[in-house]
Parts: sequence; C-alpha cells; structure tokens
Amino acid sequence: MPDQTSMTSAARTSTALVLKHERGLRRRERDLGIAMLAPAVTYIALLVALPFLLAVALSFTNSSAGSLDVSFVGLANFRSVLKSGTFRRSLTNTFLFTFVTQVSVMVLGNILARALMKPFRGKSLVRFLILMPWAAPISLATLGWLWIFDSTFSVINWVLKIVGFLGPGQWYYWLGDTTLGMIAIVTIQIWRLLPFSTVILLAGLTSIPQEVHEAADIDGAGPIAKMFRVTLPMMLPIVAVAILFGVVFTFTDMSVVYLLTRGGPYNSTHVLASLAYQEGVLGSDVGRGAAIAIFLLPVLVALAIIVLRTSRRAEVM
Amino acid sequence: MTTRRQFIQRGATLIAGGAIATAVGPTILTRRAVAADKQLKILQWSHFVPAYDQWFDPWAKQWGASKGIEVTVDHVGFADVVPRATAEVAAQSGHDVHMFLGLASAFEEHVIDLGDVVTTLEKKYGKSVELSKHSTYNPFTKKQFALSDMWVPDPGNYHKKIWTDIGMPNGPLTYEDLVKAAPEIKKKYPQMQIPIGVGLSQDIDSNMAVRNILWCHGGSTQDKDSNVVLNSPETLHALEYAKRLYSVGMTPAVLSWNAASNNQAFNAQETSYILNSISAYRTAQDNKLPVLEYYYFVPALKGPTGIGLASEHVMSGYVVWKFSRNQEAAKEFLVALVDASRESMTASKLYNFPSFYGAAADPGTALAKKIDSGAAWIAKQCNNDPFGSKPAGKLALLAKSQPWSTNLGHPGSANPAEGEIFDTYVITDMFAKAATGVMSPKDAMLEASTRAKDIYTKWRKKGMVGGGAKDT
Repeated sequence: MPDQTSMTSAARTSTALVLKHERGLRRRERDLGIAMLAPAVTYIALLVALPFLLAVALSFTNSSAGSLDVSFVGLANFRSVLKSGTFRRSLTNTFLFTFVTQVSVMVLGNILARALMKPFRGKSLVRFLILMPWAAPISLATLGWLWIFDSTFSVINWVLKIVGFLGPGQWYYWLGDTTLGMIAIVTIQIWRLLPFSTVILLAGLTSIPQEVHEAADIDGAGPIAKMFRVTLPMMLPIVAVAILFGVVFTFTDMSVVYLLTRGGPYNSTHVLASLAYQEGVLGSDVGRGAAIAIFLLPVLVALAIIVLRTSRRAEVM
Repeated sequence: MTTRRQFIQRGATLIAGGAIATAVGPTILTRRAVAADKQLKILQWSHFVPAYDQWFDPWAKQWGASKGIEVTVDHVGFADVVPRATAEVAAQSGHDVHMFLGLASAFEEHVIDLGDVVTTLEKKYGKSVELSKHSTYNPFTKKQFALSDMWVPDPGNYHKKIWTDIGMPNGPLTYEDLVKAAPEIKKKYPQMQIPIGVGLSQDIDSNMAVRNILWCHGGSTQDKDSNVVLNSPETLHALEYAKRLYSVGMTPAVLSWNAASNNQAFNAQETSYILNSISAYRTAQDNKLPVLEYYYFVPALKGPTGIGLASEHVMSGYVVWKFSRNQEAAKEFLVALVDASRESMTASKLYNFPSFYGAAADPGTALAKKIDSGAAWIAKQCNNDPFGSKPAGKLALLAKSQPWSTNLGHPGSANPAEGEIFDTYVITDMFAKAATGVMSPKDAMLEASTRAKDIYTKWRKKGMVGGGAKDT
C-alpha cells in the first residue's frame, strides 16, 4: 500500500501535468487566434489605417504630387479650402447627395423587400435583376448612364419627345445644369445602393418570428401600428447597419460624380471626394486635397458612434 | 481523417509557402533575364488614333531588341496619365519613361534633365518648334524637364453645307463670324441642337477652346515673365464675347461635354463648328459617316485684336524619372523616337506633327536645310492626304498650322502653376460662369484671377515659378 506522501506527490505531478497541458492548449488556441486574425489586421493596418493616417498628416503639409519634400503648414489648407466657394458648394452637395440617397434607398428598399417576401411567379428572376446593379462594375454602369443622361443624345429626352412630353425646342440638359446634374447623380447612386439595402432589409424582415406578427394580430394591431410598433423596432439594429454603411459609402464616394459630370458644370456638382481628387491628384496639390478629403471625418465618426449605439440599445431592448 | 486544426495548419503552411514563392520566385526567375538584357519600361497614352498604338508598340520592342534592351510598353487612357505619374512618384518606382499629354512641369523635381538629349537632337535636326520648347523647358529653373517628339494642331472643324447655306462657304474666319452665323444657322436648321459647338465644360478640349478665345482677345493667365495677368480689360472682353456667343449659338449641353462630345455632336450633325484635331474626322472616315463630305477645316479664328491663335491639341512630353535605373537607355529611346518622326506622323494618320521638323527631312539633307526639308515633307502629306481625304488637299491647312498654334501658358512657358490651373479648370469655370450668367463677367474674372494667383503663389514658394512683381 503506497504511503500517503507518495500518493500526494503523484497527484501533484498529475495535476501539474494537466495544468501544463491546459496551459499549452490555451497558448496554442491564443497563437492560432492571433494567426487567424493576423491577415485581416495586417490588411487593415497597411491598406486602411496607414493611408488614412498619412492623409491626416498630409492635410497639415504643403505636399504636392511631384514632390517628396513637405513642410508643416498647420491649418493653412483647411483655412484655404473654407474660403473656397467651390468647397462650400461641394460640402452642401455631399450632405444633399447622402441624405436624399439614403432616404430614397431606405423607402424603396423597404418596398422591394416587402414585395420580395410575397410568393409570385418569376421571383428568382426579379431577385437576380435587383442584384445586378450591385454586381455591375461602376465604371461600366456609369458609361451606360452617361449615354442615358447625355445632354445631346439623352435616351430619356428622345422618349419624352416621341411621347409628346417635350415640345419643339424643349430639351433637358441633364448634365449641363446643376440641378438636373445632381438629380442624375443621386439617381445613379440610388440605383447602385438599392440592391444592398433591399437584401439587408429582406434579411431583417424574414428574421422577425411569425409568432410576433400573429400576437400583434390577436392584440388587434392594424398595419400601421404593426409597422411602427413591431416591425421597425425589431429591424432597427439591421436598418442601422444598412444606414451606417450607406451613409459612409455615399459620403466617401466619388466615382459616380467623377464619371458622370466630373464636377461640372463650373464645379457645381462636386462632392468632397471628387473635389479632393481633382485638387489633390489632378491639380497636384496633395495637401489641399487631403484636407478636403478628411474634412468630414469628425462627422462620420460621430455618426458611426450614434448609429452603433442606437442599434446596440435596440438589441438590448 | 484530417482534423479541423490539421486542416488549418496545412492550409496556413500552403499559404505561407505560396507567399514566399510569390515573393522570391520572380527575383530568382528574372535575375538571369536581367543579367542578360537591359530593360526599359514605357508608360504611354492610348492614342486617339488607335492605328498609332499598333505601330508604336512593335516599333518600340523592335528598337529595344536591336539594342539588347527588353522594352515593355503600357498604355493608359489620357485621363489617367497624371494620376499614374503621381502614384509612381509617391512609390518611387514604376516606369522608366512616362509620357505626358500636356504639362509635365509639376513633376519637374522628380525627372532628370533632358538638356543633353535636346542638344543631340538639335545637332542632328536643328531646333524644335517653339511651342514644343515652351512646353518642356522651364526658363525659371533652366531645366529641360521633358522631351516632346510630337504635337497636334487644333484647327476649327466646320460643316461645309451648313456654312454654305448661310452664305459663308469657307467657314468662319473670326470669332465674330460665329456670333453672326449662329442665328442664321438656327433659322435654316431649327432641328440642330447646338449651332456653334465650343465647349465650356471641365474637359481637355474645352480647356483649350476657352484659352483660344482668351488669347485672341489679347488676354492670358500669365505674361511672358510668369506674372499673373488674368485680371485685365482683355479678359473681360473675352468673357463678354463668350456670353454673347453662348446666348445666340450654344446650349447648356456644352457645359457638360467630355473629350468625345464635340466629335460626337459634329459627326451626328448636331453642331456646325467645333475645335478639334483631325481624330474626329478620321473617325468619320473610318465609319463612313454621312457628315464626311461636309467635313472641312479652318485655321485658328481671329479675335478683335487681329490675333488668331489656337492651343496645341496634344503636346507630348516624355520624362525620365530620377528613380529609373535605365536612364541612358531611356535617353537613347527618346532620340530614336524623334528619329522616327515620319513613321510617327503616318502611323497616326497625320495626327502627330513632329516637334523637330528636321527629323522629317529627306535623307541626306544638310543640317541647315533640314527644317525646311521636313516642313516640305509634312506639307506634301497634308496636301495629298494618303489616308483618303476627298478632296485630297482637305488637310492642307494643317501644314501651315505652326504659326497659329501655341503652347499652354502662352505667352510664357509651361510651368507647374499653369498645369494646376489647367487641371483644376480655373479658366473653363470662369468662361462657363460668365457665359451662362451665373456670375457677371467681371466677378467671374476676379474669382478666377484670385484662384490663379493663389496657385502661382504656392508654386513660387516652392521655387518652381518666377514672376509675381507685376501680378494684376
């Protein structure tokens, strides 16, 4: 019969081995976790964080495209752009562009998502067609739109003329007029973002349990009460994400403006991103371009915090 | 059976192996090739006349093969030339030779001085045309920052039938003719959308067109000593003229035009007059468009001052980056490209005009006579277009286009401030705002003058531009 001391010693050894094994496992888990996260973190650090920090730094310098010598100029670039009428116009356009696009996308996306929840013939084809704008390369798609809105050869105008809506001498100069130009830009952006919002909202709608709707029916809730008291509150987290994504995407997007109007006529349809490109890359004034590009950063950060907090609160409730 | 952990570990090993192979492989594989041959990477625009690229690429490779140099040619659209240069300078790597279409002056600090190449070429062919020199040499820094092998004339294109019907069969000769003709064209051709198609938009062609109007009214952004002189009675006259022309002969369509729009409008017979190179005409030829028989050309229109000037439509500016490891090969290539001026002109269907006329001279001509001989050869091509013009002499006026063609920055030289004014559309904005009544001509001029002076001040601080004492 083994004595008590040797038993205690064996138990200790065994416990130590188990603990060591567990520690090893935990370390391996941690190492594996780090290894799994490393590509994403490296990607974000090198391709997002670093250029972003560089842009912030450049906005305080007199950097130009053809030079690597830079001097610190403090807030001079920001003061300079604030004096510019084109910048102020672009700032207004950016808010207008984003607000109108997001409201339209949310309303239209909701309608489409509700329609897609109902069974009907050809539903999969409709889903495919709705997703098409999301999949199409924007440069290619905008070229198509460019012809649709062309000031001389606009298909819309020709159709309106044929159906008698436009009389002799009447013509819409879609891209030669500031208001019509902005309408064209917003239209294309809505067309681009609608599929994404529709899919997100559809996912949100289908995730609401049927029992909740049935309970609301039993309680005598009408369609409007159901919409505002059941559906929307339950979809709030997912709608918040869709809005956040859409707003950030639209605030920072320059492709539609640049490909469609290049900011014209007379720099009146620029948004901040396209103006930053024109001044910073084409005009070689990198410092000024960077100042324009990051001007909305505080707004976007604040917006992201508000939206994410709202959605978290909604989840908790 | 493979566990999830084993699968991930094996996957990670494979990815790591792949990454190492990708990183190291090219070095190992190309080391031998680099050792055997020199390399030269050229960034070139996609020419408006596609036939040119079909000639240029194999020609460059053949030249390289004859020198033991492996030549790579990459093409980008004209709008991407500057952004690509910006990226390569920031990365300090990329191509050895970079072709600019307009002003390369903003990149002066990062390119080598090509003064020795120009000296070599001048010894072979005589001087280059003045506008090419003014576009590639900065007199303030005294640096030959680029080399131009070719430039492109920018004549007026008019619709012969329409102008004949209003009693002006030879087309317009002065800017005032456009104002007089526009109402007549509207009366005779009410279905025509834009009687006079002079662009006022944020694009390259409009940028040149508005400068032509400005110069021909005696105005300019800078004087010959780089003082900003945009705020002037001459500029005001030019803007008042643009307002009159817009009200009688144009529509808001011209505010939205891109580089192809005026070609498309003319070829669709929706306008009777545009300012463009012959690329639009060649398109009409290639596609046998109905407009072809009415397609005719006039020289730069004269303003009230009697000055008739047009900006070059394209000015090549080849630079060699300081970061290039193949600078000598690059210089050799540029000399060879000028040597091939005749081929270049014919490959582009007479779109390209040699910057060194002497390079188009008959073989064996004495140096003193080379420029005249080259001019004679160019005239021969234009007077009897080998690419099927009817009548054959339709392009004859191009042979005499040099006196009425000038460089961006006229009457001074190219400089980075002029480049930035061009690329940020300061002058087109000024004209568009004045013409449409968004601003009074005076306010539009003052706004543009302030923008121009701000830009000049910035580049002067960097030591790249002179002047300033006589800014208006």
